[in-house]
Amino acid sequence: MEFKNVLLIMQKEVREALKNRWFIIYTVCFSILALLLLFFSYSREEILGVSGFGRTAASLINLVLLFVPLVSLVTGAISISNERENGTLFYLLSHPVERSEVFTGKFLGLLVSIWVSICLGFGLSGIVVGIKGGSLGASKYLLTTLLSLLLAASLLSIGFIVSVLSKKAAKSIGISVFLWLFFLVFSDLGIMGTTIVMDLGIKSVFVLALLNPTEVFKIAAVLNMSPRFEVLGPVGVYALRSFGRDGTFYLLFSAMILWTVIPIVIGFLAFTLLKKE
Amino acid sequence: MITVREVTKRFKDIKAVDCVSFNVKKGEAVALLGANGAGKSTLIKCILGLLSFEGEITLNGLNVEKNSKEAKSLIGYVPQEPVFYDMRALDILEFFGAIRGVDMGRIEEIVNLVGLREHILKQSSALSGGMKQRLSFAIALISNPPILVLDEPTSNLDAHARAEFLKLIRELKLQGKTVLFSSHRLDEVEFLADRVVVMKSGKVVMESKPNVLAETLGLKVRMYIKVPVPWIETATDILKREGFDAVTLNENTLLLEVTSREKTIPLKKLLFAEIPVEDLGIEEPSMERIMQEVQGDGI
Repeated sequence: MEFKNVLLIMQKEVREALKNRWFIIYTVCFSILALLLLFFSYSREEILGVSGFGRTAASLINLVLLFVPLVSLVTGAISISNERENGTLFYLLSHPVERSEVFTGKFLGLLVSIWVSICLGFGLSGIVVGIKGGSLGASKYLLTTLLSLLLAASLLSIGFIVSVLSKKAAKSIGISVFLWLFFLVFSDLGIMGTTIVMDLGIKSVFVLALLNPTEVFKIAAVLNMSPRFEVLGPVGVYALRSFGRDGTFYLLFSAMILWTVIPIVIGFLAFTLLKKE
Repeated sequence: MITVREVTKRFKDIKAVDCVSFNVKKGEAVALLGANGAGKSTLIKCILGLLSFEGEITLNGLNVEKNSKEAKSLIGYVPQEPVFYDMRALDILEFFGAIRGVDMGRIEEIVNLVGLREHILKQSSALSGGMKQRLSFAIALISNPPILVLDEPTSNLDAHARAEFLKLIRELKLQGKTVLFSSHRLDEVEFLADRVVVMKSGKVVMESKPNVLAETLGLKVRMYIKVPVPWIETATDILKREGFDAVTLNENTLLLEVTSREKTIPLKKLLFAEIPVEDLGIEEPSMERIMQEVQGDGI
């Protein structure tokens, strides 16, 4: 794999993403909503940042859970299938580039683009809170930002698998929207249902939660924000007792990294081994 | 330069390319002729290393599957319908130029060569079909590769642009480039190719020089022989006696079909019988007839 080609493809992806109308709309919406949440999250009494970054980050968690998985999944899902469908992928691969370079360049380019968008949203809110004098919980705010970036990376990776295996962009968008609903809605319902029907223990519920990257993010983000672990319910108490606060956090953090690495390796192998053009 | 050895490409149970073998020598131009679905584009995709296949394809000794990158750097490829990223033509050229490691000076040179200067700052989506083809040709030539692979390169061009394009390719061929192109236009094939590989249902059914393709296919030329009105019946009888299927078209014109090599024989027979020939028309097999033969069950 030649780094020069990876960099060229990555630059092209960033340039295209930054010019993409939908990407701009998403970034603007995310930033505006982040700022609105910031203002709504302060009560009149706390307007000068009594709870500062921490409260803002807590508000942003829900926004991140809604926006980031959807955009990351769809962006990843159309990344290759769209190019395959309109013929640009075939044309690019007719030049002296390896499939591995194309895949890596595209992934890194889109990852950087999404990260820029997230950082803009978090950054604007952070600057406003900072100006207003809220300094408490800055590290928590930064950690929430980091977790959001990891969430984006993991769902982008999953989106790439969908993209590699789909021939049509419309199909890959459909699958990615289904996955978004599954991770955000059906997964929770599924865990609850399974727990009741199969009378699962707390340990099993915790393991099931780790099988959903959005769930992992949610637990890690809440754990980051709240000094009291009980807010996570019996599962939180179980995790606290079993692994300790730091141990649980490291476990969740590792799970998020695995949720990025495993799908991207699968997608990479599928793309480099299956020639679908 | 290009060696295709027993290449088979299957899509599930269908053989899109079926045990195809041929060579293209350095500086030679070879046309892949065949109807839509004959397997030309699939074979080109295999040569570009974009599809996995059975058999072996080498470019200058480099296996396109094992040494894909090095092999592809030897090829300039022009697709049938060029599709580009939605960027300015210049940015697209710079992007592919950077991938092939060429400098800006070469980009300027190539822009002038293909006549793209006035359109270089336009978005690719704003370019006409002809300009897109020029852009893809510029990209194909940007690193001055020794091999050009062209997949029906003139299908989207008007007559004037097509003529210019073909002229340019022929100049490049004369400069020593090896050209492999697919086409279903016989005039292009005759203008450019040294050799024609005819494909049908994924198989190579014939290899021939373009000027004898019709003859190789067994197609006959039509001869229209005009004789004075009193001689028409005698002339018809003589030719029929000699084994020609002569038909009286009107009171003074005979029509007969002969192979290209037999063209002079009917004339000799008539002159030997002292029948004056007033006029002669020869109609070579039309492109339509040849393509019908290639596409149909004739071969």
